[in-house]
Amino acid sequence: MVWNVVSVTTNREVRMTENNKYWRGIEDQSNPELTEKLAQNEFSNEISSADFLGNDEVAESQTSRRDFLKFMGFSTAAATLAACEAPIVESIPYVVKPDSLTPGLPSYYATSMFDGMDYASILVKTREGRPIKVEPNTEAPFNGGTNARTQASVLSLYDGARLRNPKVAGEDASWGDALAAARGMLTDKSVLLTSSVISPALKAAIAKLGLRHVSVDAVSASARLDVYEGFTGKRGLPTVDLDHATTVFAVGADFLGDWGGQNLMASYAERRKPGQGMLRHLQAEAGLSISGSNADVRVKTRVSEYEAVLAHVYNKVASALGLSKVSAPALREDIASSIDAAATELIKAGSGALVLNGLNTENAERLALAINLALGSKAFNTSKFVYTANGNDKAAAALVADVAAGSVDTIVTLGVNPAYQMPSVDLSGVNVVAIADREDETAATAKAALPVSHYLESWSDFSAVDGHYAVGQPTISPLFDSKSAVEIVNALAGGSESAKALVEASAAANAGSTSWNALLHDGFASTAAAEVSMNGSMDASMIDVSGINVMKPQSGLEFYTYTKTGMGAGENANNPWTYELPDPITRLSWDNYITMSAADAVELGIEVAPESNGAMTGNTLNITVDGNTLENVPVWIQPGQTMGTLGLAVGFGRTAVGKVGNGIGVNANTLLPASAAVSTEVSASASEVEHGFASVQLAHTMMGRKIVNEISLPTFMNVSHEEWNEKPTFETHRGPLSAFEANLWDDHDHETSHMWNMSIDLNSCTGCGACVVACSLENNVPVVGKDEVRRHRDMHWLRIDRYYSSEMTAERAEEEGIGAIEKYAKMEVPSESPSVVFQPVMCQHCNHAPCETVCPVGATVHSREGLNHMAYNRCIGTRYCANNCPYKVRRFNWFNYKGNEKFADVNPSQDDYGRMVLNPDVTVRARGVIEKCSLCIQRIQLGKLEAKKDGRMLTDGEFTTACAQACGSNAIVFGDVNNPDSEVSHLKQQGRAYHLLEEVGTQPSVFYQTKVRNRA
Amino acid sequence: MYTTSKLKRFASLFAVIALMLFSSVAQAFEGDAKNGRKLFKQNCASCHKLDKKLVGPALTGVTDKYSEDWLLQWIRNNAELRASGDEDALAIFEEYNGSVMSAFPALSDQDIFDILQYTIDGDPKPVVTTAGGGGGVAAAPAKDYSKEIVIGLGLLLFVMISLLARMKNTLRLVNGQDPVSILDEAGWFWGRLINNKGFVTVATIVVTIAFLNQLYWFMMGIGVEQNYQPEQPIAFSHALHAGENQIDCNYCHSSARHSKHSGIPSANVCMNCHMYVDGSEITDDAGNLKYDGERSPEIAKIYAAIGWDADERGYIENYEQQPIKWVRIHNLPDLAYFNHSQHVNAGQLECQECHGPVETMEEMYQYSELTMGWCINCHRETEVQFEKNGYYQDFHEELTEKYHGEKITAEKIGGLECGKCHY
Repeated sequence: MVWNVVSVTTNREVRMTENNKYWRGIEDQSNPELTEKLAQNEFSNEISSADFLGNDEVAESQTSRRDFLKFMGFSTAAATLAACEAPIVESIPYVVKPDSLTPGLPSYYATSMFDGMDYASILVKTREGRPIKVEPNTEAPFNGGTNARTQASVLSLYDGARLRNPKVAGEDASWGDALAAARGMLTDKSVLLTSSVISPALKAAIAKLGLRHVSVDAVSASARLDVYEGFTGKRGLPTVDLDHATTVFAVGADFLGDWGGQNLMASYAERRKPGQGMLRHLQAEAGLSISGSNADVRVKTRVSEYEAVLAHVYNKVASALGLSKVSAPALREDIASSIDAAATELIKAGSGALVLNGLNTENAERLALAINLALGSKAFNTSKFVYTANGNDKAAAALVADVAAGSVDTIVTLGVNPAYQMPSVDLSGVNVVAIADREDETAATAKAALPVSHYLESWSDFSAVDGHYAVGQPTISPLFDSKSAVEIVNALAGGSESAKALVEASAAANAGSTSWNALLHDGFASTAAAEVSMNGSMDASMIDVSGINVMKPQSGLEFYTYTKTGMGAGENANNPWTYELPDPITRLSWDNYITMSAADAVELGIEVAPESNGAMTGNTLNITVDGNTLENVPVWIQPGQTMGTLGLAVGFGRTAVGKVGNGIGVNANTLLPASAAVSTEVSASASEVEHGFASVQLAHTMMGRKIVNEISLPTFMNVSHEEWNEKPTFETHRGPLSAFEANLWDDHDHETSHMWNMSIDLNSCTGCGACVVACSLENNVPVVGKDEVRRHRDMHWLRIDRYYSSEMTAERAEEEGIGAIEKYAKMEVPSESPSVVFQPVMCQHCNHAPCETVCPVGATVHSREGLNHMAYNRCIGTRYCANNCPYKVRRFNWFNYKGNEKFADVNPSQDDYGRMVLNPDVTVRARGVIEKCSLCIQRIQLGKLEAKKDGRMLTDGEFTTACAQACGSNAIVFGDVNNPDSEVSHLKQQGRAYHLLEEVGTQPSVFYQTKVRNRA
Repeated sequence: MYTTSKLKRFASLFAVIALMLFSSVAQAFEGDAKNGRKLFKQNCASCHKLDKKLVGPALTGVTDKYSEDWLLQWIRNNAELRASGDEDALAIFEEYNGSVMSAFPALSDQDIFDILQYTIDGDPKPVVTTAGGGGGVAAAPAKDYSKEIVIGLGLLLFVMISLLARMKNTLRLVNGQDPVSILDEAGWFWGRLINNKGFVTVATIVVTIAFLNQLYWFMMGIGVEQNYQPEQPIAFSHALHAGENQIDCNYCHSSARHSKHSGIPSANVCMNCHMYVDGSEITDDAGNLKYDGERSPEIAKIYAAIGWDADERGYIENYEQQPIKWVRIHNLPDLAYFNHSQHVNAGQLECQECHGPVETMEEMYQYSELTMGWCINCHRETEVQFEKNGYYQDFHEELTEKYHGEKITAEKIGGLECGKCHY
């Protein structure tokens, strides 16, 4: 202490004597007085303590410091003593308990969801009346699987930003007043603007309302629909039966992602089982999509080339079949031979061929249809249409023109947000009646805002596809003063029926012979398929494409929009799970960005590089498309991106969606409307501003290691698995031993009772991310937000690693005599046209777990059922286990996510509504503990208990983990390997099975199946 | 006190005998009131009470109003009697707004006489206290005299020390030495002890260990709420319901067999009985009506919660129901997963094994510690109920072989693993 004083004195003396002046910054020089003043204050904007602690009564009272300390001491002591007393907990039973509900037991309801983009037949798990989980309705013949968006949609129910009551001119109003106000605005010049409507009940209400009705989709298929409407009169798209396909060629169609409204995940995985007749998948696309990354051959094509590619294939087919050709521009040299080869394969496949078009132009769809019909494709089902996207961009354009001309007085919106998704329309001159779930960009300015219920609170019905009718039933009473869409529209039309009555009446007319109760029990009814009658001859008029004028491929930069796996069209734009889920391809969360090829990035001077803490930061771009400009748009350099193409995901850049989604990313529709497929009028230049990305993966290649084991189909068919799936062996004094025999530790007894194992088929995994969201839901995994993800503190128990292939391989290095340093440096660089593999990684439940041996407090221990348990309350947070885990699957709770205000905007459990989604059977973890996958032990325990209660043996597949259940392609199989008849036992015996990093001797309970690509 | 209750017993016995003598003069039939009571409870109690109107009229004195023959006909088939145009029968029917009484063709004449006898005699007056649910006056427990014994021994010691001191001083006087007081000697002895390093060390260690031991047990006791007995919004007695009335635990706590929660019964479950039982007949220890024949204020709380109009005997329409806010007694921390159905159904445990003698508890309290050690101990000792449970079909054999016929406890099938309860 004394020493300190001396040193200070010395300093002062030095300064005084030398009288030097050190500027701390340039601002010191510009205003020395202010600087001096600020230097006196620790906080420049200080509020006097009397102001913020002040209370007039207190100010007048005579409390001395001594008294204060006495009170302080007393209250501290009292608080300490009180803390020893347990708080009084009330236990409040129902007054009259509903028959169908037992506290502590879940109830399931079959229903369907449709949000304008995704349609899914689902089971909703409710606990004590709260929906907490969406699960696939596997009995449904159409879209019985769930994707990441469907899984996440349950949290949107508990969104605190939802509109809580009707509003008239921004003021709270009763339903009666709001409906009267809205009805008062409706004249014969009014328009109803909706997203795609597939509900017969809603259609009836709309007809009753009698307004001009325009549908518009956030992700448009309008031009493609025009083609089929022209031929059949029905505004729908053909369905696809992959069961009948042998070769599929997709041009810009991400059919495993967002294309066409049909969930093809299960049938694709089934047809991609390795063996004789495995589906061959060719893809031509601009940006790397989920479908493209699963393809056997992927051709990097510009969007403006899609039509030319299809025309080229058509001409090859036409010349093989003797049909008249279409005049097509020549293909770029780089891709011509690949497209030729694809055409040859399609011709060879004949009726097993299938061409899918993703470009929203009439020409492209005509060409794809013509090829499929000419080849007699059995997989392309033109007699069964899917209607989930049926918007009409031409009608929308006419509406925009009418609004501009002033011939529209009122627009009623339902399920659309024109102020956001149609920047071209100026709504200032019309009255807006918004039937909306929140005060979004449109509803905020509406004369009347009518709150619509979430689908889990609503009655509705669906005719999503021919021959399939479904009813959506509420699983909870509306949280706010909202109503089902059908009831609101019917009320606007002057009706007073309840939503249930309207849907019941509609069901009576549409469900065929299925009873109301059966509909509610099953969730759907199969009805006699109304065959779509094609106008005219299939062969002549539809195949005849000679008249069409194929789009000329462009050279310079071109811009297109696409949908992200998590965000989709943006229906869940205030749902933190959709943001936190890393994009399967880029592995970035909480952002949208322009995807760009490395060559273009060099040209534009764009760089993306990690900072010292591993966070990715890159340049941004000022971009102008068709005269519309966005500044400082982040850019991500994407391997596999076609040179000259720039992609940007839609659904981001919201300004009035809620605290989670506001201000994240940019609105792609301001550059390019949803109706336009591509623009070549693009100019771009790098901006000074930098952007930080939240990237969860920094190493993009496998560096020659066997992490994902991948082979070709011929190898799989002709070579013994011992050669391509070699197991590591150790040389010991007992001779060579496998990783399961060479042991330092004693083995656990895993012979008696159960032994839980999980098989993950890398051939089936498409990387879609449904499992990640399902896992977060089931296990109360906290959302941490962009800043923390950027620091690699994401909490997901299950991640899907994505690896790109590299041009440099160990073999090539040896051949060309490249040294080790150069080899490894080059191995790190992904190929410009990479093969992509996905690998879900969760806790591997090692039977010789490195984590267990290093835990100083025994917080992670092994179970006799093959699981690695984690006792959160024992954990003291040393993180030794995470450091010792070779799979890096242990996540540490750096913060109290459920209480720390830093996470108030993103973490749903900080919100009284958001908390309701938590699974009551799983602990919400506290700060300072490690957490990780438990193989859904709550489900295992419950499953065993149900069997014990019934006094019967467990049957295989009776219960499964949340990830396995959510997996649309059945890539994840969970079960008991001590049951020799279980599916997982059979899978473990397969030649493709291997353990991740088997050579480290951890003996995991999770194993993988080698990926097989259908190429030589 | 003992004599008072004895007197009361005599008095009530006398009263009963007097009543029987008196009534036997007026009536011409013989009935067994005890059997009658049983039959009454089975057949009549849902609509009738002896002393007050329920759905039907109060039945005390009914034999004075009507003839035996008429009563026999009416009880056996009142519709027939009404159809025959009997004026009395029609009058009653009118009086009770046309609510139809069931016919009891199965009752014999003697059965009906028994019931009628019961309407005359009424309930046997409780002559002894029912406290503790035991019935009868238990012998007073042996008084604990240990305190007195200790005090006595202490006194004795003091006397003996005084005597010895006197004796020593006497001897010293005899030897011509000065007498020393007992306090001087104690001081000398204390001084020796205090200056003895060995003693001080040992004493310090002993005191420290004792203190730490006490501190340890104090700290371990924090959060352990054994014997926690909070005041409940309704003075509900398990002793009365589960003990005296022998209602099965699962009747009210029905979800214990199915769910993780045992479930606090909802008010509509209470109403299954309390629609008819309003507590007005409850007697105190002395056998007097506790609420002067009025409705029990505790049961009235159920009515207030659910909206039951006990006078009109119907639910009040559009009543804003108020849940009953019971105070939770058994609080496991959220980090521990406990499932009742696992223990009740698969483990076939009796409720009492964890909750104690609930059937004797006037007011519910936490019987067990509910600590992890307590759970673990039970899992170590409790044998798995393999018998008659098909789930264990295969495992039983495997486990028997593995453990060479030792008893197979919950521990041996993984009942001590962390993840079984903490996830």
